[in-house]
Amino acid sequence: MDQHVSSRSTVEASAPAAAPGAPLLAAAWAVFRKDVRSELRTRYALNAILLFAVSTVVAMSLGMGPLTVSRNADLPIIQAALLWVAILFAAFTGLARAFVQEEEARTAAALRLSTRPTAVFLGKLLFNLALLLLLVVVTTVLFIIMLRVQVGNPGLLAALLLAGSLGLVAATTLIAAIIARASVKGALFAVLSFPLLAPLLVVAIQGSANAIAGRGWESGVGSLQVLAGYTIALFTASLFLFNSVWEP
Amino acid sequence: MSDRLRLDQAAKILLGVWMAGIVVAMFLVVPQYVGLGDAGRIIILHVPTAWITTVAFAVSAVYSIRYLWKRRAADDAGAVAAAEAGFLFCTLATVSGMWFANIVWGTPWNWDPRETTILILLLIYAAYFALRSALDDLERRRRLSAVYNLFAAVTMPFLLFVAPRMAESTLHPNCAFIQGSHCDGIWLELNGTRVGQLGDVVLALQGVEQRGDLAVAQVEVRMPGLQNVAVLAPTFELMSGKPADRPEFPGQQFLLAIEEVDLAKGRVLLNMEAPGSGLLSNSRTFWTFMAANIGFLGLFIWLYRLRADVLLLQDRLARREVAYEPSV
Repeated sequence: MDQHVSSRSTVEASAPAAAPGAPLLAAAWAVFRKDVRSELRTRYALNAILLFAVSTVVAMSLGMGPLTVSRNADLPIIQAALLWVAILFAAFTGLARAFVQEEEARTAAALRLSTRPTAVFLGKLLFNLALLLLLVVVTTVLFIIMLRVQVGNPGLLAALLLAGSLGLVAATTLIAAIIARASVKGALFAVLSFPLLAPLLVVAIQGSANAIAGRGWESGVGSLQVLAGYTIALFTASLFLFNSVWEP
Repeated sequence: MSDRLRLDQAAKILLGVWMAGIVVAMFLVVPQYVGLGDAGRIIILHVPTAWITTVAFAVSAVYSIRYLWKRRAADDAGAVAAAEAGFLFCTLATVSGMWFANIVWGTPWNWDPRETTILILLLIYAAYFALRSALDDLERRRRLSAVYNLFAAVTMPFLLFVAPRMAESTLHPNCAFIQGSHCDGIWLELNGTRVGQLGDVVLALQGVEQRGDLAVAQVEVRMPGLQNVAVLAPTFELMSGKPADRPEFPGQQFLLAIEEVDLAKGRVLLNMEAPGSGLLSNSRTFWTFMAANIGFLGLFIWLYRLRADVLLLQDRLARREVAYEPSV
């Protein structure tokens, strides 16, 4: 606690909105803005994630050409699985960046002094969500154009992509904070995240297949409910556990 | 202290004798399960190991909570030891299950709900160990791996909920296997849906007719991967309202039965049944099974406590070495 007081002057110079006494949401917003600004300077995560997504979709399109229903009756589920695999692996390359970068640039200690753990977590979560939503939009649009996917129920697909992204971010932000302290970061992120994301992936792929096949909203409500429950459970658990991760 | 040691020693010997007794009972006391032959004996090994896997996961999570709360090295050692023992039992359950499935169901892997859950559990354990090996600082390793362990435990209910939705039906013992439990079966109609699925078997109704007081259905059965296609003729006693003749699926030891029939409309309720009598309704099998559960639980407790002691001892030795090292 004493450290907070003594470091206040330096902290205020670097991040004025995130003073230790600031309300939680304001502090979280300041962390988010700091991350966005530093990301826009280097564009590391942005470039990595988007190019990865583009290469995946181009590789699929090159390998298979446009798939048509006449050639395969299981087409919707195949397309939904491919789309989610592309999103998942692109997310694995970029979502750990928010925390890894703090450790690599040795700014984590400064961040620890500037604001409370929950604000850091919420700020990073928001940043990851923004990054992932951008990725999902780019990947999905490219995927639909290049593989000539005919989406029967675009509204449901969009809702599932949004709900899936929320769940994905809720699950991976805490893991990103964990692996930022480890010695092999990249591979570990995917290894730790995948088993936890398995339920989300199954539900999201099945729901998306229904949306691509053009079934009505009632076919996707169950999936959306499970995704919402998953997001809430993991978000709450993260809030409880993040303090232990963020200790120096 | 020496009293406790003697008690431990006695418990260890008792456990050894108990487990040896179970292995003998598995082959000599348990009767052969009609239809499954000797493969049915695996229930004595497979089910307890699978159940211990979940117990181990829960024990490990409880130790992780205690570690984050009290920050004692002993709790972390307990969490790791329980996870390691759980990983061992998890592997045993998976391998024995795949072996059995290959013999009886004709395929080692079917994405059955329980197979899905146990595979993900195996991956979570592996990830937990991978995380531990990647963290150099001792205190940080304990803290972060405890957090991951708990975070993984939060996703388990979703996995248990989601997994059954993956396959349309299951081959595992909840429905076709244990007597008294019930599969839903499917209605097929001559003038409606003639084709349907039971598990991963595709059924097509070709005809229903009355022969005396029996209803006979002609059902084309296509096994997964079209390995086998056959026409089976299950029958149904109209007087007593019970299935009569239950033909066997080609290549699998399951039976096809008619459970209800509506001759006027050409409707038939078809279902899959396990052959023979219920496995656990036999008292000798039941008691051996219960003894095996207790034995494996004892084995797990002994294993993880031994491992936890070893881990603590290693930790203490390492710290002593550091203390004696001349300061630079």
